[in-house]
Order: sequence, then C-alpha cells, then structure tokens
Amino acid sequence: MTGANGFLGRHVVAALLARGHRVRALVRPVVPLHELEWPGSVEVFRADLRSTLGLELAFDGVDVLVHLAASHSGGEDFQFAAAVVGTERLLDAMARTSCRRLVLASSFAVYDWSAIRWTLDETSPLEPVPSLYDRDGYTIAKSWQERVTRRVAEQHGWDLTVLRPGYIWGRGHGYLSALGQQVGKIHLVIGPLCRMPLTHVENCADLFALAAEDPRARGETFNVVDGEGERVWSYLGAYLRGTGERGIRVPVPYRLAYALVRVAFATVFKRNTKLPHILIPCRFESRLKPLRYTNGRAREVLGWRPPLDFGERLLRTYGPPLRSEGATL
Amino acid sequence: MKAALIGAGQIARQHLACLQELPGVELSAVCDVSPAVAECAAERCGIPEWFTDHGAMLRAVRPDVVHVTTPPTLHFRQAMDALEAGAHVIVEKPAVSTLDELECLTGRARERGRALVEDYNYLFNRAPREILRRMECGEFGAVVHVDAFICLDILGPNGFADPNSRHPCLSLAGGAIADFLPHLASLAHLFVGPHRRADAVWTKRRPSVLPYDEFHAVVDAERGTASLGFSASSQPDGFWLRVYGERMQALANLFESRLTFDRLRPGPRPLRPFLNGLEEGRAVRRAAVGGLVRKFTGGPGAYEGLWELLARTYQALADGSTLPVSTPQVLAVNRLVAALQPDAPRP
Repeated sequence: MTGANGFLGRHVVAALLARGHRVRALVRPVVPLHELEWPGSVEVFRADLRSTLGLELAFDGVDVLVHLAASHSGGEDFQFAAAVVGTERLLDAMARTSCRRLVLASSFAVYDWSAIRWTLDETSPLEPVPSLYDRDGYTIAKSWQERVTRRVAEQHGWDLTVLRPGYIWGRGHGYLSALGQQVGKIHLVIGPLCRMPLTHVENCADLFALAAEDPRARGETFNVVDGEGERVWSYLGAYLRGTGERGIRVPVPYRLAYALVRVAFATVFKRNTKLPHILIPCRFESRLKPLRYTNGRAREVLGWRPPLDFGERLLRTYGPPLRSEGATL
Repeated sequence: MKAALIGAGQIARQHLACLQELPGVELSAVCDVSPAVAECAAERCGIPEWFTDHGAMLRAVRPDVVHVTTPPTLHFRQAMDALEAGAHVIVEKPAVSTLDELECLTGRARERGRALVEDYNYLFNRAPREILRRMECGEFGAVVHVDAFICLDILGPNGFADPNSRHPCLSLAGGAIADFLPHLASLAHLFVGPHRRADAVWTKRRPSVLPYDEFHAVVDAERGTASLGFSASSQPDGFWLRVYGERMQALANLFESRLTFDRLRPGPRPLRPFLNGLEEGRAVRRAAVGGLVRKFTGGPGAYEGLWELLARTYQALADGSTLPVSTPQVLAVNRLVAALQPDAPRP
C-alpha cells in the first residue's frame, strides 16, 4: 500500500488487517509511525515515490498494490510530482516484478461537473482537455494519475480497479470544501438543500479492502459514496454540534451564487484562474453543484454495503474515540 | 522563431505562459525526463511535440531558441547540447555550478555565433526599470550603495526543505540559498557594476535539511558598494531592494509592486520629510491597490520581469539588436556569485 499513513490509508490498513491480509506499507522516509500504532504484522517499507531507487523491492511477494499516494497540499507542481511522477516511477518498478493486480484511489474530482446533469455515476464524462487545466492542481494531478495508471495497466495486461471516492470524512476531517464559504463565524451555505457525495473514511476503507481481494472488482471502476448523501445544511449542523464550534449558518441559493460567480469571473476577474477556487465557475461547480450520487455499481458488482450508518458515522467522527480505533489504527 | 524547452516544471510554466503570448514565437517542443510532465505541458500549451530525451528533441525539432529550465546541475550539459545544435540558449539561474562551466559555455556560444542568456528576471521588473530611468535622466544622481534582501520562508516541507526527497538545489554550494544568489548578484551588478571584492556570512538558524538558511554579504564594486542578504526566518516574504543615490533613495519590494522614493526637493528643508512622507504614502496605497488588482486580474504577477526579459530577448534575436542580458554581464554576475559562495576564499 502506498499512502498508508494518510487519513484514508490508515483505515485501509486496518480494513485489510481485519480481513486477514498481510500489509506492506510504503511510508515516506521521515514520517513518524508511533502514532499509527500499527501491529507488528504491518511491514513498513520506507520510500519516497518521487526519488527512491529500487522501488521494485517493495513488490517482493506482493499480490496486489493498493495505490493511495497523492498530495492534497502544496502547489500544483508539487501535487503533480507527488501523484503522477510518483505513480510513473512506482508502476515502472511494478512492471519489473510479478505483481499484476492494482487498486488505484482516484477521485470524484476527475469528472466533468459542468457537463453532468442530475446524476453522477461511473458513466459520467470525465473533465476533458483543455478545460481540465482550468481546474485546480489536485484535479489535474488525479486526472493524470488515473490516465497514466490506465495506460500502463493496459500496456502490461494488469488487473486494475479504480475507486473514485467522493468527500472522505471522519474524525478530524469533518469540515469539507463542499460546505460553502466560511467568513469568520459565518458559514455561507451555498445550496443548503443540495446533497454532498460523502463517504465516511471507514466505509471507504472497507470498499478498498473488498476491491483488493474480490476478483469481481477486476477491470471495474467504482464511485465510492455511502449513499445519496447528506444535505449540506444538516451535515454542517451536525459538524457544528459535534465539534462544539460556534458558527452561524447563512443559506445562499446555489443558482444565485453560481450566477454571481460567472458574471464576476467574466467581467471583474477577466477569466483569471489564479483566484480562490470558489470564484472560478468550473471549480465552484465541482465543489457545490447539486447532483445525485449513487454507489449502485459497487452494490451491484461486489454486493457492497457501507458498514456504518449515518448515526454510527457521526459517533465515530465526533464521539469519544473507541478503544478498537486506537488498537487497529 | 521556433522555441523549445528542456524541463517542464514550475518555472517552465512561467516561460511557457509568456511564450504563448509573444508574437512571432512558435512553441515547437517540450522535453522532460517524466513522460507525464512533458505530455501534460505539451497538452496544456498546445505544443505539437514532447520528448523525454533532450538530444532527440534537438535533432528532431532543430529549434532556434532553447530554454533550459531543469535543475541547475543539469544546465551545463543541456545548454551545451543546445548550442551544439545551433540554438540560442536562455538558461534559468543559476546557469551553471562553476565558473569554468560558464566560461566553457560562453566560449562555445561565441564560436557558434549564438546567444547565451541567463534569467535575471528581477532586473526587468517595473521597479528597477523605473530607478534606472531616473538614473539615466539624471534625477537620481550616481548610485552610492545598493541593498538587496530576500525574506522567504523556504523551510516548509513541500519545497527546498522536503526531508523525504532531496531537492536538486541542495547539490549547490550554499544549498537552497544558492538558487537565489544570481538574483541578488545581478541587482548588485546592475546598480554598482562588477565587484572588486566580497565577503559573506552563511549561517543556519533553524533545524532543517538545508545546510544554511541565512546569508549576508558586503560587496565592494566598481561604482559603489552593495549589501546582499537572504533570510528564511524573517517574515513576511519580501524581496527588498533599496538603492541609495546622490539625490534620491528608492525602496521597492520586488515580490510586489511597491516602489517609493525619498528625494531632495526644492523648498524649505524642514518640510522635506513631510512632503516626502505624503508622496511615499500615496505610492504605497497605489501599490497596495495595484497589487490586489494584479492578483485578481491574472497575468505574470511577480514574474513580470521574466516576461519583459523574454520579450526583449526574442526581439533582439529577431532584429539583431543588443541583448537585454549580455555575455560580459553574465560572466561578471557569476564571478560575484562564485565569490559569495561559502567555500570561496575570503579577503
């Protein structure tokens, strides 16, 4: 597993262990591990995908690569190097080994949100060129990561499964960019009744672990959401109650906000793409557009059901830590 | 003119953005060791061909101008190959790792009748150009001293100080700060000429993988003196240029658009600080508003000088006029850079 010590990665490690698998975790050279409390059965392989030589050693005895590594922070070039150049080097190393199975973490970001109407599913169009380059660095990096991985997998005849999670939330990661715009204590809730493509980190990790072991997942692409999604207004309310933060929710109709952003972008800002994301129409849509979401494909092919319902997700996010959380994570 | 780039990383994006806007320039190819980086740059900028081997690109495309925008330790070989292929070369700073390499490159450029231009983009920002204009019209008086100081937090985990993946600039003597020395040295050279002697202090203030994070130097040059510095700890980020003339002093932040002047003026002497203060206040407010507008309306931002430098360079190459950065200038700047390095002999 790459990205094993990240927010999702830690839970995927736990989910794989819970299913009885052995895990080799690729972790960057100076990342501290003591907080992760991994059991001794997790084998740690120290490497940076951008620069470490001899990455093929990481594949020794490996049946399936679960590739989560990417970066949410840093500039566009840093994110591209972390996700895409790292993937190029990793897959180049994998091609020199006997490993032939790969599960890739992609993202909902890769879809063409402007073109999609009503329901977003695995058949929805991906962001095309050149409009891809108006999107943010993370989207560009994840789109290229998926593109590179599909090419290499096809070239070598590997079994590839691509999972595209929506917003992953969980303990310490409750505030999401889909919630609108925060100005001090005021939360401008854009499209308060819109649903968000949410997946709780433990549910998401469960599907990754299932996809890694289930042969029916080979060659498939799955969107990862827990269901039709919570409404922005109620999710933010739960977040404020759960964290104890004080905030005032101010509803803003989506269509009004979107119209204002489009007009300002074309006139005041002269189509400058160095603005805050929420002021660029295509990025505004990718965060806030009201659509419907489904995990129907994962249910149909793998028979997957998210293990936690919404009440349990809230408890696991905002309630006291469970003993088992500390032990497995 | 057919242009090609070797290296498609962060600074290459600035070169590409400018070249897309320059009239008479055809972006013909881009090269990067990563296929995805090269292909992405080509796709994004509508460049017809991309390569992972710069030699193959030079043979296939035969560009008129090659931009070398790779990590510094690769510049010498790639710039030399581009010159051998008959191209003019615009190389990112630092152009080379040693003076010997630079002399070798400039010698070969002269033999081949080609230009070798190192990117001193800050010389072409609005502020230094305005100071030069005032010098040329006699308003400023002769320059006595120049002070150039960069405050930049380079200790974050995603850049020079990334502890997981060694940044290529750490191979330079002086580490990450060496990447900024050509900016400082080129400004000193612009205002006070070639150096006669220099002394520098390199220190490390905070724990990181960088060998040094503070640098301070004094320079004695042909037309005046200079003090140069870099601090990774002083905040906020800024690139402060202060030029002391016989009749005027200028202060600019080259990361932004602030430029103010303090000058001798006619009238009662006691009123001079008051009137200069009013003028300075107006200039600071104008720069603050201008900076905000610049952020919201796009464009090159702090890279305005790079766009100006490239425009002037292509114009000069096209009509045979004087290049904006000359070979003697590049040699003089790099001699000062060499004198400032931590392992250089001190006076």
